[in-house]
Amino acid sequence: MSTYTTELPIRPELDAAHGDLATRWATPSHSWSSKQRLSVIAEVRRAIDADELAPWEAPSSIEGFIANNHPLPDAAIDVIWRLTNHPGTLTKEWYESIISRNIDPVAYVELVGLVAQANCVDRFADGLGVKRVDLPDPIATKTAVMSELEVSVTTHWVPTAATKGPNVLKALSSVPFENESREILSSVQYVPTAALLGDLTSGYNSLTRLQIELVAARTSKLNECFY
Amino acid sequence: MSGVSQNIDISFEAISSSTDGNGGVLHGELLSKLSEALWSKNLNELTAVREELVNAAGADVFVDAVGVSAMFHMMTRIADGTGTPLDAGTDEPSADIREAIGVNDLVSRRHMAT
Repeated sequence: MSTYTTELPIRPELDAAHGDLATRWATPSHSWSSKQRLSVIAEVRRAIDADELAPWEAPSSIEGFIANNHPLPDAAIDVIWRLTNHPGTLTKEWYESIISRNIDPVAYVELVGLVAQANCVDRFADGLGVKRVDLPDPIATKTAVMSELEVSVTTHWVPTAATKGPNVLKALSSVPFENESREILSSVQYVPTAALLGDLTSGYNSLTRLQIELVAARTSKLNECFY
Repeated sequence: MSGVSQNIDISFEAISSSTDGNGGVLHGELLSKLSEALWSKNLNELTAVREELVNAAGADVFVDAVGVSAMFHMMTRIADGTGTPLDAGTDEPSADIREAIGVNDLVSRRHMAT
């Protein structure tokens, strides 16, 4: 069964990948329950659809903005809104202020991964004018296995594993499950990591590599991303 | 690098704005305009550029371009949410490009400690 209902020519592998992502979003982790992970995606949707708050306005500082029974801690909601609507304004001091509010650094990395994926999948649907991916029901059982990777703070603000490759591919390395989700999306919407630097001339999907890199660079500039 | 390997004369203006040319890339202006409409979430602009791009290049190009742009809404959030610095060895070689596309003054500027 297709993830999207549309006459637009969405490649089957891309359609399937977005369906897989929704299932992965419901998979509990060591840091966040299934219900909390799905709440992250729902909160990203709220942040995308709402009138934007200014970067300095944290949702937790606005009376009544966050429901009393919200499954996520206030600091996580502040991360979701800031990262969704003002990613280019983040600083190391801001990150440290979030961690000081009882968000574990590895839990924070997982949160970044989820917020980033939701921004990808939902903005794709919005751009095509199709219904966003349906979210599954939360999974009741706790199946998460804690990563046994050794991680430390070296090059990034956040802890990373000692892996090779570009820094941006190392960014989520402390949470391999989220790094895998990133790779799933990358392989159907950009180019597979293995081809990132090795094959610069082939056309992927219906775009040439030059067209792909133009859209990538223009989007990154609009998001005020230096990297 | 892609342009060099294909012996194509490319430039960086389409990265800075959709009104400054196509950068030597086929449908470059429209692709840049589409990226802007997706970022601003302006439905009127999106509808207009969608029609232009579908007519000029086809619906598959429109769908895949939306996919690439959405992908980079993800990658920018990963980079800036984790404090990802420029890769070692890319700092100096990218200096001219950074100047050309005007990103040196961004808050998100981060370099590897040397």
